[in-house]
Amino acid sequence: MGYIELNVLNNQSSLAMGIDLGTTNSLAAVWKDGRPVIVHPEGKSGSIPSVIHFPTDGSQLKIGREGRDHAAAAPERTLFSVKRLMGRPEADVQDELARVPFPTSEGEDGVLRVNVDGREFTPQELSALILNRVHDHGCRALNDEKPDRVVITVPAYFDDAQRQATRDAARLAGLDVLRIVNEPTAACLAYGLDQEKSGNVVVYDLGGGTFDVSVLSIADGVFKVLSTAGDTHLGGDDFDNALVGLIIDGLQGDLTEEELKDPGFLTAARLSAERCKHALSTDPQAELHMVLASRGVTFHRTVTRSEFEDLVRPLVERTIDSCRRALSDANLEPGDIDEVVMVGGSTRVPMVQAAVESFFGRIPHTELNPDEVVALGAAVQAHILIGGSRDMLLLDVIPLSLGLETVGGAISKLVMRNSTIPCSVTEGFTTYADNQTGIDFHVVQGEREMVSDCRSLAKFQLKGIPPMPAGMARVAVRFHVDADGLLTVSAREESTGASTRVEVEPMSGLSDEEVERMLLSSVEHAEEDFAVRRAADLVTEIGTMRTATERSLEGVREHLDRETLEDIEAALAASREADTGGTDAERLQAVRDELERATLPLAALLMDDVAKAALSGKRLEDV
Amino acid sequence: MTSCPHCGAELETPLGCGVCQVPLEVEGAVDPFTLLGIALSFSLDVEELRSRHLKISRWIHPDYFAASPELRALAETNTGLLNGALEALDEPLRRAECLLESRGGPSEAEVKDMPQAFLMEVLEWSETLDEARAAAAGSPEREAAFKLGPSLHDERAARIDTITALLDPLPATASEHLTTARHELNAVRYLDRALRELESLRLAEAEAR
Repeated sequence: MGYIELNVLNNQSSLAMGIDLGTTNSLAAVWKDGRPVIVHPEGKSGSIPSVIHFPTDGSQLKIGREGRDHAAAAPERTLFSVKRLMGRPEADVQDELARVPFPTSEGEDGVLRVNVDGREFTPQELSALILNRVHDHGCRALNDEKPDRVVITVPAYFDDAQRQATRDAARLAGLDVLRIVNEPTAACLAYGLDQEKSGNVVVYDLGGGTFDVSVLSIADGVFKVLSTAGDTHLGGDDFDNALVGLIIDGLQGDLTEEELKDPGFLTAARLSAERCKHALSTDPQAELHMVLASRGVTFHRTVTRSEFEDLVRPLVERTIDSCRRALSDANLEPGDIDEVVMVGGSTRVPMVQAAVESFFGRIPHTELNPDEVVALGAAVQAHILIGGSRDMLLLDVIPLSLGLETVGGAISKLVMRNSTIPCSVTEGFTTYADNQTGIDFHVVQGEREMVSDCRSLAKFQLKGIPPMPAGMARVAVRFHVDADGLLTVSAREESTGASTRVEVEPMSGLSDEEVERMLLSSVEHAEEDFAVRRAADLVTEIGTMRTATERSLEGVREHLDRETLEDIEAALAASREADTGGTDAERLQAVRDELERATLPLAALLMDDVAKAALSGKRLEDV
Repeated sequence: MTSCPHCGAELETPLGCGVCQVPLEVEGAVDPFTLLGIALSFSLDVEELRSRHLKISRWIHPDYFAASPELRALAETNTGLLNGALEALDEPLRRAECLLESRGGPSEAEVKDMPQAFLMEVLEWSETLDEARAAAAGSPEREAAFKLGPSLHDERAARIDTITALLDPLPATASEHLTTARHELNAVRYLDRALRELESLRLAEAEAR
């Protein structure tokens, strides 16, 4: 009996990948030759649209660029902005679900499910598909080196459940998450501002669908996030929509209300708007042009930059309001800011740059590609984490306060927002009734004063408190927020020395067991599942076609010419082979198509009544 | 202060050793001043506090221990304690709470009797704020509430000064100063609640415009 040597430990890549898992686009970067670089196969962009298309024929899912290409033709089969659904209960994302073209439901675990043709996907699984695609795309550029250790970025305001969901998505994609980093923090690392500067930095990140602003202080190579603010629904898409509004107004008479709401129309309108917006970043005026061939309708008008700016001014002002809030949280004035970093494609809009420059009184950094900055920074952090270098230290903060429900639905905050993480806080609680042996805890996250206005994270009960008079028990509740911003709560009764300990996980989230099960059953195989189902469908279809062909062939065999007959026989033989254990959908499709082609003359023969009647004694070519 | 079990150097903090640059097991509950390796005092130098925090972070931050799960877990715990300690001392109000606790002063719940005059004052603000909340943006009621802002800020600053005078130099355990400081702290809480209200009014006003 021989041994097979498995080189399990040594095949770990010396690289770690930084991944910007974006609402609109995602991309990956690694540390190479002393600096972070975006990884992309030669001649291809590194950016992968965060889009998943589900073909009607059940064939392989189209993810990324392919998915987006299919979106215009079939928006009702395409998912965008999955990130917005991550870690959120159904009730919180009603607005988002209006834009999801598939039915959704909520599982008992509080996790949303998107139902596509009888198959359920959690946002975690869908994000895993995108992560997989981004990772594969990056690996192809690395000569198939596979850095499975990754740093993933999330918006600074992501709460505990959303961070947890992101980590679960990465696990489902088979990736080892070294760290979850806030996007604006990563941007700062990308600019390497620690190398030369010491002072206060603002990161202004206006992406496709989200806006966030962070204030950081940098000193002696230490980055510290002082505050964050933002708007989950403000971005380049809103800029596009402002232009789409012009198209809709212009087509009011040509199209019905119904047609103006058609997803296909809206997608096409959005693409036209986006093109026009891009042109306006460099030109004083641009064409807003759209042709709706199916309806014979054309829309065309020239949009000047100042016209566009009037449309988006309220949006830009909202971002400046957030900047004001972030500064006030950090106890700073615009004049205290030494550097401003621009992130996100929408910061290419000249008006945005001007507004930021005028508010902070300094020219913002735009040297790096604003679409790549976050991924580059994630790669820097990944390098720090695997390199063990102590030159740089990133101290991140928690975006939202964490607390416990107290009497009357009020909240006792234990960890204040913008606390540096990891962070441990312990607070004492006691019993309010004599001989009370248990205490219920309700963990919430948010800034508002009442529980009903905050996000519920977990409920648990501390049991086994020895009977004693009210107020005598001493229960220490410990909140620990780890370096990824994820919370663990434990409670211990201390007065008697007897201790009980409870660990909690977010209420709406996947349990470890669920993640394991999904890992085994679906996500890794989600694409294959589709292929397998498609193969099975094809085998059935081929079988039906063959039976029908064989049956029909018997009666009319002599009416077919030799070539056609041989053709059909060959196709039938191939179909018999395909029957036995055929799982290659592509090959089966070819067999099916060949059978269809070969039997066309036969079908024509059978269908043609006139021919049929005339054929009583003649050969086909004699007719 | 004890010494490092690895190299024998004297420890500046129980959280870790600056010579070996590793986290160390911390036993029992330790007050935030000791965790940061600074003397118990109210009027501490905030800049020094923060630079202590950074210095210790560089010894024990979990980012530096990705290779070893055990060290990483300990680093995570200790950095959590370190950051919790900074949060407790960085802000004067919370720092005062810490001092009161370590000197055996009364807790917030133990001192409920606020001076009558102060409570009347609180009632007055509440009324102004209630009226402002019910009134429309730009109304005289809103204006009245916003006028309240500066005086509330002034009063808060004055009370923080009083607290500073009471806690610095460090009062003896069970000193009367501790009870007086508690009254002042509770008053500041009332002020803060009113200021928060005012802030949300201001946001509502800004949104209305």
